[in-house]
Amino acid sequence: MEYYPLPQPEEIPEREKEDAMGAYLMMFAAVAIGLPLPIINLIASIIYYYINRKKSKFINFHSLQSLLSQIPTTIINWALVIWSVTIFFKEDWKLTPEFWGYAIFAGVSTLLYFIFGLIAAYKARQGKMYYFLFFGKVAYEASYKIKPEDGENQTPVNKPPF
Amino acid sequence: MRTFFGWLYIGLPHGFLLFFVGLWGAILGFISFWIILFTGRYPQSFFEFQVGLTQWQTRLNARLYNLADGYPAFGISATDDSINIVIPYPERLSRGTLLLRLFFGWLYVLIPHGFVLFFLSLGVMFALFIGWWIILFTGQLPVSIHNFIVGTMRWSTRVNLYMGNMTDTYPPFSLD
Repeated sequence: MEYYPLPQPEEIPEREKEDAMGAYLMMFAAVAIGLPLPIINLIASIIYYYINRKKSKFINFHSLQSLLSQIPTTIINWALVIWSVTIFFKEDWKLTPEFWGYAIFAGVSTLLYFIFGLIAAYKARQGKMYYFLFFGKVAYEASYKIKPEDGENQTPVNKPPF
Repeated sequence: MRTFFGWLYIGLPHGFLLFFVGLWGAILGFISFWIILFTGRYPQSFFEFQVGLTQWQTRLNARLYNLADGYPAFGISATDDSINIVIPYPERLSRGTLLLRLFFGWLYVLIPHGFVLFFLSLGVMFALFIGWWIILFTGQLPVSIHNFIVGTMRWSTRVNLYMGNMTDTYPPFSLD
């Protein structure tokens, strides 16, 4: 498999660095519009990715990594919200030790995501690559792998008449 | 036509889209706050989005206020022959002003400007009413009424830009 060469920090324009950094800060999106639902950040990341993915491979990588890495925390937090609502309406707000265990797990996961997200945002601002576990590799493959349609030997669709 | 049905064929479709684009603008504005706090710069692409959003809102308001004819274009990158807003991109923004605005913006910006803009808005409503009749009979909006409405829009836009952290220049108490 072949990959495009990675750009070095001094080769990346300031604007690209800022856009790459912005991708990670989408995790604060829910706070921005005052809704505590843990889906807002994911929607914001999806929109951000689709708006910015074609600007450059560097931005594509960081915005995709940000988007993918938000999926697990979003699922974990959604499960917590659904569990909380169920307890509130059906079990008269009786909190079980299992619930507390899961709530702490969700809190720690979100906190870890915030910390790593901020580190990634800082690195992106400096024009550096920063790879999350698993998602970093997936995002790198998606952004920097040379695809057949990118190749110079691609058969042209439009041809001259002679 | 625009006065009676403008809300339907201009206000509704534009308002619907602007609601969602405005939400996105709010998200970007919030994130920009933190970026400015740490880097001292408003991300340029975020800034251009906010400028586009401001232009779109102004295009829409200009039609609803009978300041221009024609249907306003959709989109943040669209242009307009009648309305032109130039907002220079600030290379650096003051972090101190950013925090001052966050904690005391309501005190030194929103209260004094809001007080004046409240009365100006009443004046605009009156001017719109008078202007509508004048346009109906003469086909022209008097320059003084036009300038007054445009000046008020300009004033409120400047306040919004300042409170949106897009400039460090305190908005002047002026219609010009």
